[in-house]
Amino acid sequence: MPGKTPDKEPVENGGYRGGKDMTDKDLKPKGKKASKKEGDDEMTVVVPPSKASKHSSANPPNDAEGDVAMDDADKAAEGEVKADPVAQTINDIKSNFALLDRAVALFDARFTLRALRSISSIRKRLTPDILAQAISETYQPSSASALVAKQMLQVIGRPDVSLGRQPGPEMEIDSEPKATGKNGAKKEVKEVIPEVDVFLGILTQVLLHDNKQFQQGFGFSHYLVEQIRSVNRRTLDSLSAKVYFYYSLFAEQLAPLPPSPHSPIVSIRPTLLAALRTAVLRKDVDTQASVIVILLRNYLLTSHIAQADLLVSHTQFPENAANNQVARFLYYLGRTRAIQLRYTEAHEHLTAATRKAPSSACALGFSQTATKLLLVVELLMGDIPDRSTFRQPSMEAALHPYFLLVQAVRVGNLEDFETIVADHADTFRRDGTYTLILRLRQNVIKTGIRMMSLSYSRISLRDICIRLHLGSEESAEYIVAKAIRDGVIEATLDRERGFMKSKEVGDVYATREPGEAFHDRIRACLALHDESVKAMRFPMNQHRLELKNAQEAREREREMAKEIQEGDLDEDDLGGEFEGM
Amino acid sequence: MADRELTTLLSHLQRTPPPPYPQTTALLSRAKLLLLQLNALTPSPSTPAPLLALARSTYEQGALASIRAKNPDAFTRYVAQLRPFYELSSGVEAGEEESGERNKVTGLYLLLLLTQGLYGEFHSELEALSATRGQQLGEVEGDRYLGYPIRLERWLMEGSYDRVWKAMKKGEVPCEEFGVFSEILTSQIRSEIASSSERAYPSLPLASTKSLLFLESEGAVVEFARSRGWTVKDGQIYFPSAQETGEEEQEKEMSQMVIENTLGYARQLETIV
Repeated sequence: MPGKTPDKEPVENGGYRGGKDMTDKDLKPKGKKASKKEGDDEMTVVVPPSKASKHSSANPPNDAEGDVAMDDADKAAEGEVKADPVAQTINDIKSNFALLDRAVALFDARFTLRALRSISSIRKRLTPDILAQAISETYQPSSASALVAKQMLQVIGRPDVSLGRQPGPEMEIDSEPKATGKNGAKKEVKEVIPEVDVFLGILTQVLLHDNKQFQQGFGFSHYLVEQIRSVNRRTLDSLSAKVYFYYSLFAEQLAPLPPSPHSPIVSIRPTLLAALRTAVLRKDVDTQASVIVILLRNYLLTSHIAQADLLVSHTQFPENAANNQVARFLYYLGRTRAIQLRYTEAHEHLTAATRKAPSSACALGFSQTATKLLLVVELLMGDIPDRSTFRQPSMEAALHPYFLLVQAVRVGNLEDFETIVADHADTFRRDGTYTLILRLRQNVIKTGIRMMSLSYSRISLRDICIRLHLGSEESAEYIVAKAIRDGVIEATLDRERGFMKSKEVGDVYATREPGEAFHDRIRACLALHDESVKAMRFPMNQHRLELKNAQEAREREREMAKEIQEGDLDEDDLGGEFEGM
Repeated sequence: MADRELTTLLSHLQRTPPPPYPQTTALLSRAKLLLLQLNALTPSPSTPAPLLALARSTYEQGALASIRAKNPDAFTRYVAQLRPFYELSSGVEAGEEESGERNKVTGLYLLLLLTQGLYGEFHSELEALSATRGQQLGEVEGDRYLGYPIRLERWLMEGSYDRVWKAMKKGEVPCEEFGVFSEILTSQIRSEIASSSERAYPSLPLASTKSLLFLESEGAVVEFARSRGWTVKDGQIYFPSAQETGEEEQEKEMSQMVIENTLGYARQLETIV
């Protein structure tokens, strides 16, 4: 007991500092994870190795710093610690426990988030052995959550590892008796908090997912979810959000695969809905946001559009959810709306989703998928997307089929359009945009008619019919009439002589359109300003410091005024100030 | 015992030509009671397969009967009841031949949505159709019953009303139940054509309006014109122009909007600066 206080403090400090360093560095991997989760069908994209190596090479100094803080006397041993990747990973994992401890003690979710963020860097180095060791060093066989620990060991295929092992058997060569003793002492006095259970559980999930052991992962996730639901701790919120996320990810990977109504994702819906209900009641924003997104994805995978729509209309997506979740939510919402032919709403949501998507190259999958859908919706609305969208180097290749599509629609060439749809049908189907693209046919026709009405002041229906490859003159007549009614073109038809006569195009600037466009932009700018004001964060108690400064300044001023009164100051001294005024 | 009785009931229902509606409803309610006894009114994975098929065909017959009786509400209800049956069966017996009436019922449902103007639901259903059954959309379109409403929707959206008209003629309709919707569809496309003609043509000769609106005689054209408030003069139809009146008001409204917006900006800017 006496050893506790002096020891604990530095450890926390070190962990804290280590975590802080990581936040900057980990921004990127976080983005990458988002892309992996979200975006493409190739969900199990493996992280490029170059990045991983860069990362691990960047890490040691950071951890070394932690070690320094932990115990200055250990400086000599530190070199070896750094060299051993296994021990270092275990240390990384454990440094997060400190963060979780702190999160519980201070009731501040930011520390938990920091711990979660470090998962992506640990992930690349994680092996069953490392995790098993970390688990066995964390838990005592007698501790309350030993059952959870056993379950974890079982599922990663190391059931024979016993709990309560003293840390660092590999480190024996390093002969670090001091550190060992210290850690051991710490553990004896402290019961493992549930946050640590769940954190290790998430690591187990990650490991199983990376090793493609989906069946075990699903079983374990189910167990973990049950575990989470049995405790009611607010500090667990952001962790459980993650657990649910992996839970559904495992379910998606199991046969029969999603489009089939017998996929396991259907069977996890009740659990997710229950989780959502609980999260709403407990005002658990993280879980709420993430479970809504998971459910939406779940419904859309089995094409239960009506249910997805009902879910959206009956729940309120938390306003202060994490940015990534908001982006995902908007994407799925946009998708639902696009299918329901509510293009304006779909466009709004998808634009927001693409803007909110992490801008780093790592979340590319999500950006690409969202952009593809956005392009199709724009086409369906009768707009032609910007050429610059296709020029971005990161998007160019992925968007190529869509580029061709846009070209066909822009020109209004029905024949081209149909060949492109046929050529790239597989791509479109994989992107889930095929049915939407089929709806574009009428837009192509309308554009064709518009082009014709712009270029000719008078054209016979027969010519229209031939140019647009329509079935018959009667069809052409009806189609043109409909286009006129829908306001696509300004023209009149002459039935007796069978031609279309275009009206003079009015001046756009005389209408209210430019004013409205202007108004929209101004409103967007003002909203942006408001949001950035709201998003500002100020350090605690800073204002008091400023107040103090202000008070000092005032005192100085008063003194100066006094001196002036007394005539101590020369005119020259004051000169500068007057000019300034 | 109960299931044997159900089978006989079902064979009564499936008889051609179908029994008149009152008799059908009586049979159906008896069948549903039996289903309740057998605990198969709503499906569950534990329900034995033959019973599931029986229940499904009962509902299918109910759906078809209600279409024949032009009762869209009852039909929608049957479709909703059928949906879990289809979901349950589609994965398990993927290789097996599907229930013969499924495409028919779904096709009818699609057509119903189309005639009611529920395009959003129509497309949701379509999406589900192409995704859930693991079929390519091409195959769905190729189906006799499912392709029909899909094609109709495409033509309606394009505006090729003449094709819709042709598709509704006797020989083109996949089966007699689909014919029920023809009347509704005809009046629907007629009003569509009328509203676009109002904008597209300055005037129309009576004779060609007849063919334009798919009407039988010129008398019918005159009657239709009157119902829409068109004026008929010297064998020509003139459309009332509703354009000019609103101009002044719009102008006023627009300047008011500009003033409001500008005031809004000023207020916002003040809070910023």
